[in-house]
Amino acid sequence: MSSGYIVTILTFVAIYISLALSLNILTGYAGQISLGHAAFLGIGAYTSAVLAVHYGLPFWVDFLAAVVVTGMIGTILGLPSLRVRHDFLVLATMGVNFVVVSVFKYVDFFGGAMGLVNIPAPTILGLTFRGGAPYLTLTAIYALLTLAVCWYLSKTWSGLAFHAIRNDEDAAASVGVGSARYKIYAFGISAALAGGAGSLYAHFLGSVFPDNFVFVESIGMLSMVIFGGIGTLRGPIIGAIFLRLMPEMFRFIQDYRFTLYGALLVLMMLFQPMGLLGKDSWLWKFSTRVWPGYRTSKREEMP
Amino acid sequence: MTLLEVKHISHWFGGLQALKDVSFQTQNEILGLIGPNGAGKTTLFNIISGFITPTKGEVIYGGQRIRIHHLRPYQTVRLGMARTFQIVKPFATLTVEENVLTGLGMPFYPTSKALVQRYKTASNMEKVEEILTTTHLIEYRNSPAAKLPIGLQRRLEIARALATGPKLLLLDEPAAGLVSQEATELSDLILNLFHQGIQIIVIEHNMRFAMNLCQRIVVLNQGEMIAQGTPSEVQNNEKVINAYLGQE
Amino acid sequence: MLILQNLSDALILACTYILMAAGLTMVYGVLKVLHIAHASVYTVGAFIGVLIYSWVGNFWLALLGAMLTSGVFGVLIYRSTYFYLLNAPRTVPLIASVGMFVMFTDLLQKNFLMGPYQRAFPAAGAGLPAIQTTWLSLTPKQLLILLVTLGLLVMLYFLLTRTRLGLSWQAASMDREMAAAVGINLNRSIAANFFLGSALAGAAGVLVGVYNNSVFATMGDLPSYKAFIIIVLGGMGSLPGAILASLLLAIVENFMVASIGYVLPRDSIAFLVLILMLMFRPNGLLGRE
Repeated sequence: MSSGYIVTILTFVAIYISLALSLNILTGYAGQISLGHAAFLGIGAYTSAVLAVHYGLPFWVDFLAAVVVTGMIGTILGLPSLRVRHDFLVLATMGVNFVVVSVFKYVDFFGGAMGLVNIPAPTILGLTFRGGAPYLTLTAIYALLTLAVCWYLSKTWSGLAFHAIRNDEDAAASVGVGSARYKIYAFGISAALAGGAGSLYAHFLGSVFPDNFVFVESIGMLSMVIFGGIGTLRGPIIGAIFLRLMPEMFRFIQDYRFTLYGALLVLMMLFQPMGLLGKDSWLWKFSTRVWPGYRTSKREEMP
Repeated sequence: MTLLEVKHISHWFGGLQALKDVSFQTQNEILGLIGPNGAGKTTLFNIISGFITPTKGEVIYGGQRIRIHHLRPYQTVRLGMARTFQIVKPFATLTVEENVLTGLGMPFYPTSKALVQRYKTASNMEKVEEILTTTHLIEYRNSPAAKLPIGLQRRLEIARALATGPKLLLLDEPAAGLVSQEATELSDLILNLFHQGIQIIVIEHNMRFAMNLCQRIVVLNQGEMIAQGTPSEVQNNEKVINAYLGQE
Repeated sequence: MLILQNLSDALILACTYILMAAGLTMVYGVLKVLHIAHASVYTVGAFIGVLIYSWVGNFWLALLGAMLTSGVFGVLIYRSTYFYLLNAPRTVPLIASVGMFVMFTDLLQKNFLMGPYQRAFPAAGAGLPAIQTTWLSLTPKQLLILLVTLGLLVMLYFLLTRTRLGLSWQAASMDREMAAAVGINLNRSIAANFFLGSALAGAAGVLVGVYNNSVFATMGDLPSYKAFIIIVLGGMGSLPGAILASLLLAIVENFMVASIGYVLPRDSIAFLVLILMLMFRPNGLLGRE
């Protein structure tokens, strides 16, 4: 394996870490299960691609546009979540994913099934980031940014409100939380962060095709979040790293990648629904017990 | 000034009438709301706190004559009304401390304060400690709420409701599932809160608990109010006795 | 009488939807979780059907074999996974369902199973005649679909209303705990329902495979998404609602394609309808609380 190949893989890992973290805000913090997150990746990617290819706008413009546009569309697409929950919401998000991809495929402005190509490498402050280590740096910075946003969010009132809504909306109402707007906010910020990742995705690949953003991709993202540990910061990161790196390491698994995804999801639900490194998982409890001095909730548990 | 006035509330769930022309007022007291199963007590609470819009009638709160049923549940909190639930609903993934924190001025929707301000400030933590001490939950402050036994979870719900700084507290069967010692502690806590100036309405199925605690009692049976008065008046009321005997 | 012809085309389309949706309703009724892996059961049915047909050349045997295999497959799915997750929070079996769907879809595309290509299902109309009247005409295949669907629906009706199994399903779908409390063997009831629901899906797979003369690994995706939409439209867990909604969807799709044209593909219609439904009438067209 050449170092160039490794760098490419790591770049994807960084992008997917951002994606998993953004989905975690929606699904892990706010409890809105979404099986259509790839739609947001796609909206961000296409926004950037269209602005760069059709209008020749510079990277920082199309990147910001991707974030803002995806965020706004995200809040709109979050509206169904106000009326429905759980399985119905899952269906709605699947539907949204499907419709978004159809729009990309059948509307000529987006290049149709042939997609958009010749997306230029981003140029920031005169430096061109043409793949390789420079681009990895870019995506790594974005991943760290996303992580920072998620971390700070969890410390704010809105983060607490998300937890309340996720646990019990009636109880949340009884302490004065209006679920509706918080849910829309969750959709908005989750989409915005995914949109930024989409922009990076488009510029890295140089092209976008509708089939890059289908339902199966959404499942992949959700798997990362759940596998690693839903609702935690470490979970999506681990999930993204593990599920992206694994197929690259083993040829055999590469061919059966989705079989493995699927089987992993099922096994996780059967044995460790809180995720590999989730709050109550074997691995997390084990590693925090073994690591002395690490503050855990063990000593605060009920006598 | 009457804090709460319930006026001719009637409510139907589809074809089933849950409440029939219920009216009463309350001020400066601990009011008990009792009645056999299915009497409509929790439905009444849901209507008062805004979770359900009554088919007929109105609820008027405070001197401002606010019509409750135009408000959503999270807005009645702003008026100083807090409630607990018949089946406890703690925020399971949060700790006891964090549960109480949710009551302390959470913005009702994502304002800039909600987006930017951290909730674990020193002053908030002080208030949390105060409340946890009053409700005798201080030693469990870092426990995940889901791991507490039911008695403590009920106290936690009260603590969480307290955090919102209510003028009126609606407690739905707070003594359910408690052993007698816990029930006594709960009684003391409620009296304590009352002496601090909070008005309280308690739904209770446990007659003795309600009679000992409340200054006035309203009795519901099959959606109708069949008696109201002091505990001794109510206890000797024929209609009340028949209602409860009829249940056995 | 173009409208009548269009209607009858829609009816045939609706038949396949009905079988899928009825099967899904059976499962959802007792499980209360969206069984996304239903798509795989449908596809397996088509696959086994075409295999059997290529061995023995008889459509009816192929249908029977497919239904049996799908039924058993469904029960296996239940017993290996959902059984353990019955009392978990709803997101858990939902995600397990997604996991199974992904797993089976991927496996089915491998060469030792269906492979990533289409194969033909050249069963003619199983010896049925064509119908040619002045008002409408039905090809033998269309007549076949109609008859098989009607037959299965009639059998289903009898099963649900006249047998103990059917009554236990109705009880369990209304309140699982109560049903268990009155002595209904939940496990057996749910397993039987999985068998039935999956067998219906298998039948749908065979019929569609024959009608389009094509069987391929991902053929279950769209029908199963539409089945979800249909059961939402019909009010979750209501069988008559599902049948009505299937008819409606088929009619709308047929007529929309004629008028709106190609701005969006026919399949998007169903999803748009779903999103609108979920936003404005989440309790289904027949609206139940």
